[in-house]
Amino acid sequence: MMGPALSAAALAALLLSLPGVALLRRARPALLLAVALGVALVPLGGLPAAAYARGAVGDLSVTTMLLLLHSLLRPVLGWESVGKASRITLQVLAATGGLLLYPSALAPGPTDPYRIGFGNPWFLAALLLLATGALVLRLHFVASSIALAVLVWALGGYESRNLWDYLLDPLLAVWGTVALLVWSQKAIVQATRR
Amino acid sequence: MAGVGPRLSLVRLGREGRDRRDLLVLALVVVGFGAGFGKALGRARPSLFRPRLAVEARDEPPRFETRFVTTRPNTLAHAACLVELGDGRIRAFWYTGSREGAPDVEVHTAVYAPERGVWSAEKTVASPESTRAALRRYVRKVGNPTAIRTDDGTLWLFYVTVSVGGWGGGSITAVASRDDGETWSEARRLISSPLFDLSTLVRGEPILYADGTIGLPVYQSLVSSVPELLRVDGTGAVVDRQRLSEDGHSPQPVVLVRSATKALVLLRNSGPGRPQRVGRTATRDAGRTWAPISRLPLLNPDAALSGVVLSDGRILVALNDVEVERDALSLVVSADGGATWRTVRRLEDQVAARDLPVDDARYDRTVEALARATDSRVADGRDFVLSSRRFMCWEPRCHFEFSYPSLIQTRGGVFHLVYTWNRAFIKHVAFNAAWLDREAGGDGRRR
Repeated sequence: MMGPALSAAALAALLLSLPGVALLRRARPALLLAVALGVALVPLGGLPAAAYARGAVGDLSVTTMLLLLHSLLRPVLGWESVGKASRITLQVLAATGGLLLYPSALAPGPTDPYRIGFGNPWFLAALLLLATGALVLRLHFVASSIALAVLVWALGGYESRNLWDYLLDPLLAVWGTVALLVWSQKAIVQATRR
Repeated sequence: MAGVGPRLSLVRLGREGRDRRDLLVLALVVVGFGAGFGKALGRARPSLFRPRLAVEARDEPPRFETRFVTTRPNTLAHAACLVELGDGRIRAFWYTGSREGAPDVEVHTAVYAPERGVWSAEKTVASPESTRAALRRYVRKVGNPTAIRTDDGTLWLFYVTVSVGGWGGGSITAVASRDDGETWSEARRLISSPLFDLSTLVRGEPILYADGTIGLPVYQSLVSSVPELLRVDGTGAVVDRQRLSEDGHSPQPVVLVRSATKALVLLRNSGPGRPQRVGRTATRDAGRTWAPISRLPLLNPDAALSGVVLSDGRILVALNDVEVERDALSLVVSADGGATWRTVRRLEDQVAARDLPVDDARYDRTVEALARATDSRVADGRDFVLSSRRFMCWEPRCHFEFSYPSLIQTRGGVFHLVYTWNRAFIKHVAFNAAWLDREAGGDGRRR
């Protein structure tokens, strides 16, 4: 049930982040509940809206879900922001992970990085190193995202048994890549002006 | 905080243990990775193959029979597969509907009782609607099925489902049955690709590992046709994925287990080179490593094939052994591990019709004659003619197609082969080892 529930929550979070709706900060918890229930339960052409989204993009990674829910609930619950350093680190990790994973896993070639997601201890050790580094640097959101993704994977939260699917999804990789491209372009423009 | 150096932060972490957030995140890292490493310790380990055992009775008289599995006219019937049930009956699965990829296409099944020599009426196993409801996600169409019966008596059916786009957007769905296909569990999605779980298709017969897990030969189809072997556990979850070849023009792998450590993989050829020949890879260490792809002398017009390993080590394969089209289907045998092949019998052969002048009446007569020759119960061949015309006729002429073979050998040693007949019917061929030996002659047998 975790997959459908998270799809509904993600879709609700996206709908509530639309301009206008995003301004209704205090009403967000009630709105989130209502919209999540709506997209999870109300059938449109035989299936709830969340089921169509899930059919198209599958289950979103734990990292994406954390980002979506954090952005949605932060103003209401008074959470601190993710922080610029954490956000940029996540974007770099998502872009790098996407670049490492998707082309090699989908195109013909000698290596298949997706395979190490089926419980390779060296992959876990590398992630532990990343999470520890993030913790030391007090990038709490990054460390929490990695640790929570590993925990949900260990508990078998999704249909997938592959750790990559808990850490990363194509939407997250695109978000990271686009953000880095924009950031790079701004940096180049600024450097040129100087 | 980004400006704080690692050393300083470590000191702070030690001194300011009161910082709740640090401690909370640290606890999460400890718990998460503790559980993660615990799970990694219990992950699927490499396992030996489990060869299929068959007892071939050679003192029987040669036996060769043909019949139709399906007889519904004007309906697409394609991509059949077979599995032997616990009581020795044979169950077939295929997909059927108004046309390939249509929303009304369903996976159907029927059972063959060898003692009576008849197929049961067909029943629906899976449809887009039933799969949607079970998976709680949108599914637009269903496709290729393949099945296996594991040692604990569970019958597994794997079939292609597509939510978005064409076959390139396919995924695999599994259902299981504890009563040999009378009732089925709720469908489960096999997650086998990182890109929205798209682009994994199935066709070849699954294999068994010694530890009870299933080896499911699959292929990617979005960027290129990369052959892979998925490992599926007893709950229907993918626990490993292995690339069988780096070649991107090798869909629909057929894994032929020759011993606990050796297997030969035959690969459909979708590459640009002409003539196309069957691809080959092999392992000698139970799948830890696979040989680079090479080509067998067998022709392959970018078409599915199927095969079995006999108890004496010979390899029997059913395939379209022509350069183009799928209008001929043969049984070929190799006694030297696939290096050389000998044709046992050309089961279907309409190659000569390609060069004849266009003649609709002759096409109709040929289809009707072939249908009657296949099954003595065909009294009126007009349904076969009309159905063949619907799926096989486009300018400037009508064609023949005998494709997507699925070959199995039962525990009792009898061979069963099903294949698509003009895209409208599924044909069944059964023969025994005595017939095979007689047809293969001395060159096909291991000395």
